Amino acid sequence: MEDSRPTRRDVVKGSAAAGAVGLAGLAGCTQGGQNDGGGGDDGNGGGGDDDGNGGGGDDGGSTEYPSLGNFPVEGDTVTFGFNVPQSGSYSQEGEDELRGYDLAKQHLNNGGGWVDQWDDLSGDGVLGKTVESVNGDTATDPDTARQSASRMISRDDAIMITGGSSSGVAIAVQELCQEEKVQFQCCLTHSNDTTGSACVRYSFREMFNAYMTGQALAPVVRDAYGEDLNFYQLYADYTWGQTQQASMEQFFTDVAGWSQIDSVPTPLGTSDYSSYLSDVPDDADVLVLNHYGLDAANSLPQAIEAGLDERLEIIVPLYNRLMAQAASDSIEGIFGTADWNWKLDEEYTQSFVESFQEEYDQPPSYAARLAYTQTMQYAAAVERAGTFYPPEVIREMEDYEFDNAGLGGELMRGSDHQAFRDVLVVQGKAPGDRDSEFDLLNVVNQTPRDDLGYGPDEGPAAECELGEYGDE
Amino acid sequence: MVLETAVEVVLNGLQQGAIFALLGIGLTIILGTMKFLNLAHGALYLIGGYAGMYVIRETTLSTGYLESIGVTTVGLGLGFAAAMVLVPIFGFVVGLLMERYVAEPFYDRPETDQLLVTFGLALIVQEVVKFLMGGSTFQPATPEQVLGISVGGPIELPIVGNYPQWRLYIVLIALVVIGLTYLVIEKTDFGLVVQAGTQDSEMVRLLGIKINRSYSLVFAMGAALAAFAGLIGVSFQTVSPQIGTEQALIPAFLVLVVGGAGSVVGAIFGGFVLGITIAAMTVLASQWAQIVLYAVAAGVLLFRPEGLFGSAEVGE
Repeated sequence: MEDSRPTRRDVVKGSAAAGAVGLAGLAGCTQGGQNDGGGGDDGNGGGGDDDGNGGGGDDGGSTEYPSLGNFPVEGDTVTFGFNVPQSGSYSQEGEDELRGYDLAKQHLNNGGGWVDQWDDLSGDGVLGKTVESVNGDTATDPDTARQSASRMISRDDAIMITGGSSSGVAIAVQELCQEEKVQFQCCLTHSNDTTGSACVRYSFREMFNAYMTGQALAPVVRDAYGEDLNFYQLYADYTWGQTQQASMEQFFTDVAGWSQIDSVPTPLGTSDYSSYLSDVPDDADVLVLNHYGLDAANSLPQAIEAGLDERLEIIVPLYNRLMAQAASDSIEGIFGTADWNWKLDEEYTQSFVESFQEEYDQPPSYAARLAYTQTMQYAAAVERAGTFYPPEVIREMEDYEFDNAGLGGELMRGSDHQAFRDVLVVQGKAPGDRDSEFDLLNVVNQTPRDDLGYGPDEGPAAECELGEYGDE
Repeated sequence: MVLETAVEVVLNGLQQGAIFALLGIGLTIILGTMKFLNLAHGALYLIGGYAGMYVIRETTLSTGYLESIGVTTVGLGLGFAAAMVLVPIFGFVVGLLMERYVAEPFYDRPETDQLLVTFGLALIVQEVVKFLMGGSTFQPATPEQVLGISVGGPIELPIVGNYPQWRLYIVLIALVVIGLTYLVIEKTDFGLVVQAGTQDSEMVRLLGIKINRSYSLVFAMGAALAAFAGLIGVSFQTVSPQIGTEQALIPAFLVLVVGGAGSVVGAIFGGFVLGITIAAMTVLASQWAQIVLYAVAAGVLLFRPEGLFGSAEVGE
């Protein structure tokens, strides 16, 4: 007679399976590196044929330079790898990054947007080669991101990888890119380590970092809330949250004259912060939520719901519009910093916003601008170098001064590959002051780049060793 | 201070525990009665979550297929009270369909097949949601008032001070639903059949009871509970396509392990034990919270393989 009770084995199997599901985290369920329908083939730039010049101009001087990484680029197409979170805590940022990347690709191949404004770019691909792309899903997870980038490098012959919405991811991928001698263009990464202790020669970051957030934010919140306050921090427990916490502590203490009661780590991907929030001590005047993406979209509304905003000030040091959208009922009056804002009255900003709106019927978030600008910067550097040979492209970018990315004058410093640029201090708008669902943040102050940053041997840069070009 | 922390831990643990228990009951009765391992249980939570959000309010879509064809506003805007009625009904119907077209063909197949088909289904549901609504995150659908009672904002409690009022209601609502489920299982003929089925379904058949009909109802009831858990979940946490796998599936299985397969009381107890464990660990050492959760489950497996409330195995 059949035993119809579930046995211990059933239960264990079920749990094991559930555990496996948890471990897989659905990471492997989205196809990494699917071709996004651009070119019909798998974005494979003809790596298999040996005749070098597939009729599309020359390879940018493959005769002059030896093979390195995925150089030379064979055939008449070139592949970029867009490696973004399509699942996990930062997936929303990833979605908008992809929009920025696809727009950049379209403009590089057909003109439009900044291609029409930048002298270096032609609208006829890059060095005459049509740009193709492969997409990957980092799942907001460093290991998954590395695997995905690795596939793009070995299978798709990507000459450049870009992406990352988590500094943990960006750092993991840029290490790989340094080993493989394939250039990485950071998209959304704000940890000091990215261009600090974990910096590499093959990676460039246009986004600002936690240190600059501290520099920009501390004077503003001191003026708004006063001095001699006690602050309490929660921070996402990985590289970004840790450096973010340290920078907030440094500048709120030194510049604002506040004192820290305590700072508490929260695991990345926490959805219920009630236990952490009910632990905030009574003598805290300010609560600093170093959370981003989904984490912030959970922690901020839950803090408001717990009535914390009635007894103390809340600060979310790194804002973004997507998070603000997800927490739109809770952001009124809350200070933070942002990379850029689509309402800035600036010619490059406005032309980018215009073409983005036209394509997607919504204004871009700063994640999309970072994606767009980092792709354009790379393409322009290749054009200036006249070759895809990575060391030449890297030298072209180092210490490059530019003012055509929407934020006024910027310097890509050669000693640590960190851009020095303005930083926006923003404040959440009251629901009544918003023109649309995308109009959520007020730019309180565009902190000029001269008031920010640090010397090549100071702050985060003190720990930076870039490593080799690969042609030494 | 210690007392304050202890009370907060219990309160926070009860909320999380309530959701775990609702999930666990559904999973355990489905496994107990039909010996069907349902990895799509998290997907039911996801469906309930989205359905709940759309019943409670109108939502603007900025991504996904619906938005691309011009459907930018979805939802009924009926409030939480309506959702408490509609979401379980919706979950019930989804459960009936799932039982009929997914589970039934696999009852006599090996567990591995059941796991594969239900895991596949979970992925499909998640991707369909993502396709239609985009990967966007929606803010928690926290109600300001329910049936005229103000439930938003903080409330002054003795010992702990300010506490989010809605969280207390969550516990209350969940306890009522759990209580009703318990009564149905313990005090009705249907419940008797379910319980008998978890013990020995063959004997129930021999007694002339059409257990297949009960199967559909049990499955649908489990699904309704999972959907209701989703509704409770989205009333204080953000909503995104990942919530089914990330917030629901693993806890549900851990509850099953701790409580014992087929035991409603076990699921309730297991849910609250795990909820309070998480809340306590968060305060004590947050980085250990997840690990301790698994450790508790492993400990139970070691010392009581059938779970705390699972009956000793018969006829092995």
